[in-house]
Amino acid sequence: MEQESFCANDSLESVINAYSNMVYRLAFSHTRDRCSADDIYQEVFLRYIRKRPQFETEKHRKAWLIRVTVNCCRKMWTSSWKKKIVPLDESIIFETKEETNLHYELQKLPVKYRTVIHLFYYEDLKVEEIGEILHKKPSTVRAQLTRARSKLKEILKEGYDV
Amino acid sequence: MFREEYRKMNERIFPDQEIVNKVIESINKPHREANKSIALLRKSVAIAAVIAIITLTVTPALAANVPIVYQLMYAVSPSVAQFFMPVRKSCVDNGIKMEVVSAYIHDNTAEIYITMQDITGDRIDNTIDLYDSYSINRPFDSSATCELVGFDEASKTATFLISITEWGNKKIEGDKITFSVREFISHKRMYKDIPVEVDMGSIESNPPTMEVNPGGGGGRKYREFIPDYRRTANVLVPSDSMGFQIEDFKLTGIGYIDGFLHVQASIKRNMVGDNFGYFILKDKNGKEINCVCNFDFSVKEDDDIKYTEYIFEVPPSEIEQYSLYGYYVATGLYTKGYWQVTFPLEKQDLEDDEKNTISATIN
Repeated sequence: MEQESFCANDSLESVINAYSNMVYRLAFSHTRDRCSADDIYQEVFLRYIRKRPQFETEKHRKAWLIRVTVNCCRKMWTSSWKKKIVPLDESIIFETKEETNLHYELQKLPVKYRTVIHLFYYEDLKVEEIGEILHKKPSTVRAQLTRARSKLKEILKEGYDV
Repeated sequence: MFREEYRKMNERIFPDQEIVNKVIESINKPHREANKSIALLRKSVAIAAVIAIITLTVTPALAANVPIVYQLMYAVSPSVAQFFMPVRKSCVDNGIKMEVVSAYIHDNTAEIYITMQDITGDRIDNTIDLYDSYSINRPFDSSATCELVGFDEASKTATFLISITEWGNKKIEGDKITFSVREFISHKRMYKDIPVEVDMGSIESNPPTMEVNPGGGGGRKYREFIPDYRRTANVLVPSDSMGFQIEDFKLTGIGYIDGFLHVQASIKRNMVGDNFGYFILKDKNGKEINCVCNFDFSVKEDDDIKYTEYIFEVPPSEIEQYSLYGYYVATGLYTKGYWQVTFPLEKQDLEDDEKNTISATIN
């Protein structure tokens, strides 16, 4: 999604407010549970506060936050803590039954594809941009999207053209 | 449409204001205190689960394919090859052996050579693709890649190079890495530069078209053809036979719509879902022109067939100067298994006799 443009020297608070939803939604798209998304969200901004990185453009800032979020998500899956816990089923209230169903269906999508799907379909990033952020070749991202779409077609019921 | 539903669903997801406030409050706190206050907000309530992972990891006395990797390393960079530390840890599953042969740490980067060999059959070849099934687990923030760098026909051994770059200033030496693979595809059949026998001078300028719901796609001008929230796109009406076919990849239409050249193909969906093809244009000097937009769609009558529309930006007045070529990659074998090796990242200079051993193996 488009981020509002603001000065590169703006305060940490304005950066957190501006990118809160982006980071949280990306984390949630990966974990599909609120508890983990909460943890990742805090970890990402804690790193941001600690490092206080400087960026030339908002595009760079956004790319940094996406990379760190993805990295925190990956780290979560590999941590012994995550491997040994079963999260509480905290239900999210969606507005329609379709959205609720889609959320539960997306839990069946292999974790490795969730990020590219989110960045492509929600953040509207181009394949080349996703590759740049995730340090993958565009051809790799393209292949992952193809495979992810194929999996989604298997998972989603009729009515969705992926 | 998926994009729209996915977007709507995500609009309902945002962090609790309490968490946002806590993060903002931590801005002016010392690091340790900030960590503490954030940790208190961890809401996970956990139930311990018993997880038992049994992995057969062996360290062979001398792996038969070690010389192959060293030959490869010396061929790529003789001066660097000697700094690789032998690791030689392997794991066998489903008749396939995966071995971590050697690793080299320099600055904040680790490079690791891994081989995969079919010890019972012929499932590994030079088209092997780990199919995004590999994972590299490491206890530090980093980016990592894995690429196929060689294949030895005689021993049917594929060699991969993993590169891991640490993001901060943490020393990675001494940390353990776990590399695992769950599946791969191989024996792909690749068709390149296949001429499409189409009379470029008589391409229809007013072909029959239809509206479809585009699926996934890409290309430089994708957003111009498929803007946000747009549900439909104009495509050629698929034709049964256009005289060009590579296995399941068929040309099903070509014509101009709104001044852009549309080329359409169909692919039969397969189990793995990894077959793919595309077209390019070449001028008389061999200069290649890629499509500016492509997207998939289905027609209701035949869900086993995936159609792709490729859109080129070449005006009708110039199209006679170009020829059309098809490319296609068909998946061959699909192999499942679970291969996992954990090994330490060690950095140290090789002893002289170790260097001699490595040199001897390649002579």
